Amino acid sequence: MSTLIEAHGLARVLPGDPPVSLVQGIDLAVEPGRFVAVIGPSGCGKSSLLYLLGLLDRPTAGSLMFDGMDTVPMGGDARAALRLARFGFVFQFHFLLPEFTALENILIPIRRLGRLSGGDARTRAMELLRAMELEAQADKTPDRMSGGQRQRVAIARALANDPSLVLGDEPTGNLDSVNSRRVVEIFQALAHEQGRAVICVTHDPDVAAAADRRIHMRDGGIEKVD
Amino acid sequence: MRRVALLLSIAFQHLAKRRRQTIVAVAGVGVGVGFFLAVSALMVGSQDDFVKKLIDAAPHIVVSDEVRSPTPQPAVQAYPGGAVAVHGYKPRTEMRGIKGWQQLVATVNAMPGAVASPSLSGGVTLRVGGHEEALAVIGIDPAVEAHVSNVEENLKAGSLHALETNQGGLIVAEELARRLGVNMGDVVGATSARGGTRSLRIVGLFGRGRSPGGSSGTGYVLLREAQSLTGQPFIINRVGVKIADPYRAETVAKALEARFSYKAESWQERSADFLTLLLTRNIIMYTVVSAILLVASFGIYTVVSNAVADKRRDIAILRSIGFSQADLQGIFVAEGLVLAVIGIILGFGLGLVLMQILGSLEFPVSGRVEHIPLDRRPRQFLLAGGASLACAVFAAWLPARKAARVDPVDILRGAA
Repeated sequence: MSTLIEAHGLARVLPGDPPVSLVQGIDLAVEPGRFVAVIGPSGCGKSSLLYLLGLLDRPTAGSLMFDGMDTVPMGGDARAALRLARFGFVFQFHFLLPEFTALENILIPIRRLGRLSGGDARTRAMELLRAMELEAQADKTPDRMSGGQRQRVAIARALANDPSLVLGDEPTGNLDSVNSRRVVEIFQALAHEQGRAVICVTHDPDVAAAADRRIHMRDGGIEKVD
Repeated sequence: MRRVALLLSIAFQHLAKRRRQTIVAVAGVGVGVGFFLAVSALMVGSQDDFVKKLIDAAPHIVVSDEVRSPTPQPAVQAYPGGAVAVHGYKPRTEMRGIKGWQQLVATVNAMPGAVASPSLSGGVTLRVGGHEEALAVIGIDPAVEAHVSNVEENLKAGSLHALETNQGGLIVAEELARRLGVNMGDVVGATSARGGTRSLRIVGLFGRGRSPGGSSGTGYVLLREAQSLTGQPFIINRVGVKIADPYRAETVAKALEARFSYKAESWQERSADFLTLLLTRNIIMYTVVSAILLVASFGIYTVVSNAVADKRRDIAILRSIGFSQADLQGIFVAEGLVLAVIGIILGFGLGLVLMQILGSLEFPVSGRVEHIPLDRRPRQFLLAGGASLACAVFAAWLPARKAARVDPVDILRGAA
């Protein structure tokens, strides 16, 4: 199977005196339909790696190919367009826009992409809410939802534009065990049933255990993969 | 289009959540625009009124029998281009008056909408009992002069026409008549330096402070009367010209002067110092009202820059979703625009109310009730709206640029 995202010798060094190396020499390839967990102690560079893979940050060395495209020379707008259409992010904190309802939060990336008309966009957003069993919360603002509900709205929003790659940054970090299990099941379904590539940075052993592959990181590099 | 609507809806939500700041900023713009309108309506209105009075006070162009440079002496004329300097000559006495004035009047009358009124002015002394007053008399043809100046409107008693129907009719200022102790219908003696003495009858009085040229020492008689009184039969030394567009007076005056070589003074030349004063006044006014608008935009800067500071997390989220830097900048510039547009609409309302109040004030001026002249043309509204919109965009653009530069990774790393 061809890879969706592929990194070679990826490194990110913060300029300074002395320069700080966040990640270095990362070689990695993830295929569609795979659920990959990135684990390791705090400060080992897991999140930095995720920001590089998610095109939020630029590597200082190495190459990063996404779906056959070299992302390193891309400009800010091209990277933003790629994130909008192909990537979905889920963070530790739900990171919903507080002024907007659940439905509106999901509609924002759909409307920004602008491929669906107003009515179709709404239908799509409602479908996503239904898949997360959140129809009843559609018109609530985030402050009136539980932590688990908010995180599922955030996942629905990440899926709004039908992304090929879903990136999770400690998505269960703030959830109780019941909600954590639910998120893990959703992530597994995203990979195995819907054929998306899922890369998830986590401390949670349950998440790690559910993944197809585990990348162990230490001091900015990959220690082992199992 | 869809993208603009989305960015606007996010901007609206941001503003709706900071209601108090939004109200303060909108009120600032509203008050600024309102006072801009009131002040400029007042200034431009009074200026237009003043200029209209300047234009109407006398003919648009006055051609007089003066020349701008002295007549060249025969010796100089005899050797044109020669190195001739003549000193101590005795100037030839020339007959005063505009030569060929009939042709000048015909030329003016041939222009569409233009009227020329030939007249003769000279000095006489009025005598009643033992009392004497100097008077500059202007001899006119009442039928023509009425088209050229607003003499008729300034009459308190009598009419211009009465000059024709009364033998030796005279129109003088009310103040002068009082000083001489005469009234309508009374007879005064008039003596000129060159002519004899005649009796004139008062057939009209100018209202207080409304004599032609603002001087109470000017009177009107029939042209023929002036010619015989001053001993200058058939002489014309002044031609008043009224043209269709008073703002072309300078051009027309120059053309007349070039052709007839007599001094043709336009109203602009006559009131050049007033016009300079008006220009200075305008510069002061627009500086002050622009400052008001600029200060109003500080409110917008505060709101938008606070929004950018508070929404750093949202900025990071939107960037991670795939919003570009331009999108983020657009959201915050849109916030400034929304504030400005609401403020401008409120300001238009306030401006109209202020104008209504100013317009309803009444001032008694020389016996008549006058209203403050106001300029309510849409030009002022466009100017106020456009200027505050530009200020708002700039005020919002400064913090919006910062929003676009927020690095999402910094925020995400800090939050995790």
